[in-house]
Amino acid sequence: MFFSKFNFNLIFFLLLLTSCSSMNVTEETVYSGDVKTVQVQAASTIESEDINYDSEAVFANATIYFDFDKTELTSKSLQILKSVADALNENSNLNIVLAGHADERGTREYNLALGQRRAEAVSQYLELNGIKKNRIVVKSFGEEMPLALGNDEESYAKNRRVEIN
Amino acid sequence: MKKFFILFFLPCFLYAELILEITKGTDDPYKVAIVQFNGEEKLSSEIHGIIINNLKRSGEFKVFTSSELLSIPSKESEIIFNDFRILNIDYLVLGSVLNGDIIYEVYDIRKGSKIRTSTVYGIPNKNRQLAHYVSDGIYEEITGIKGIASTKILYVTQDRNYKLIVADADGKNEQILLESSEPIISPTWSPDSRKVAYVSFETGMAQVFIQNIANGEREIVIENKNQISSPAWSPDGKFLSLTLYQDGNAEIYILNLTNKNLTRLTNHYSIDTESTWSPKGSKIMFTSGRSGSPQLYELDLRKYNAKPKRITFDGNYNAKGSYLPNSDGIVFVHRTNSNFQIAMKYFDENFIRPLTISQMDESPSISPNGNVIVYAIKDSGMGLLAGVTLSGARFRLPAKNGAVREPSWSGFLR
Repeated sequence: MFFSKFNFNLIFFLLLLTSCSSMNVTEETVYSGDVKTVQVQAASTIESEDINYDSEAVFANATIYFDFDKTELTSKSLQILKSVADALNENSNLNIVLAGHADERGTREYNLALGQRRAEAVSQYLELNGIKKNRIVVKSFGEEMPLALGNDEESYAKNRRVEIN
Repeated sequence: MKKFFILFFLPCFLYAELILEITKGTDDPYKVAIVQFNGEEKLSSEIHGIIINNLKRSGEFKVFTSSELLSIPSKESEIIFNDFRILNIDYLVLGSVLNGDIIYEVYDIRKGSKIRTSTVYGIPNKNRQLAHYVSDGIYEEITGIKGIASTKILYVTQDRNYKLIVADADGKNEQILLESSEPIISPTWSPDSRKVAYVSFETGMAQVFIQNIANGEREIVIENKNQISSPAWSPDGKFLSLTLYQDGNAEIYILNLTNKNLTRLTNHYSIDTESTWSPKGSKIMFTSGRSGSPQLYELDLRKYNAKPKRITFDGNYNAKGSYLPNSDGIVFVHRTNSNFQIAMKYFDENFIRPLTISQMDESPSISPNGNVIVYAIKDSGMGLLAGVTLSGARFRLPAKNGAVREPSWSGFLR
């Protein structure tokens, strides 16, 4: 290796002597760009010891749907949320997670924010109906966790949602 | 006999796979003859193939190989310039591979003289990068613009797990930076291309991490009980702009990476996210829903209490902007009818230029020389990466297992 570089340098020296002034002479070394792989284990699912299992059924199916690029609650959503609020008022030791989602159209970060606004809209309704903010966790998965995998309006409509758990 | 032919032609097909569908290049490409370099046959042939594909993929070159030439010189004294002039060839490249290093020369056929002689010192197991360096030297000598063959692309794939992957700019040489059972989004490079920032959902909600590429060390940039997303590095590498949700709504902040101080940039009840820095670091562009639909806005960081200025007005969806490296325009996601495309707008023009034509194009990322845009497409529901050059050439990067998305182009590594 050393010998070859020495050789190259010699060639260069000779080239420099003979070349005309307009010629470009360069010398460089490759960058290694080595990579270390990291594997992460997801945090275990949220501890659920506080949940009153008798009333869990009320929440399991509570999913609120939205129109494209919209965060407003529909009249049908309000009916569902009324029963969620009632159940939460009846079970004061019960806390909930609101996870907002978007369909795949549009940019990922904007959809993450959109999912958050949808979950916030649900949270605000529940707060107006007497549920304390500290009983609610609000988050978004944007377009990352679709329920339906199709590329059609029917699938998109299923994916624009807030899941209440 | 049949078997023999398959084996014989296999190397050609392997190289051909690198460039899938260059649909349109420039009308007047540079015509360059590249003679396979002297040296050990297998290595020299591999390097030859990589260089040819790099130059072709730029859309700016027509490459001639030995079978298309009238004479095949292996050193300067053997060049018959008229044999190349007859074929209207502009440049000739000769070289040698020796002990893992390459020395190559570029000749101007019309002038009949050598215009460049370069040495690239290799390191063990980095022969592809060696070939990329040579490609970039040839590209720069002929076009006057720095080449991007030696740069890297970062992207996310999803099959059973989510993977953050770094690969060569030709889509080859994939290496996994991070593997997780939960989504990874918004990967981006530090300005020196030694670190990456991204959003991982591994804690149960979106959090921003910084990871050192070489040693795998990673950290959450700032602890917060609410989700944090959309990282973008300032050009000097000292700050990270982020989207925080601590007020229940997406707002943009700047995090000082040294003392972890946060400065709030936006304050509006609608969505503000997808921040990005201008090349000089004096402005931040972001997506905001404040007009009723997503549009791009610019904030001047040099002015105290500056108001965001709207900069896109065509259509009802313009998002995820990035600045061209010379600051004379932006590239972004634009919706026409129900299609999402990549579009470009120069600041001195009052119209936008659509760059792509599919239905679901997103996540554009600009090469550091400003000549190529890589982006994510959907083909039959499958996520793939595609590229378009400002000269009009289009290409697709090799198909991977699983859905591929969110490409992010590194800075120069040479």
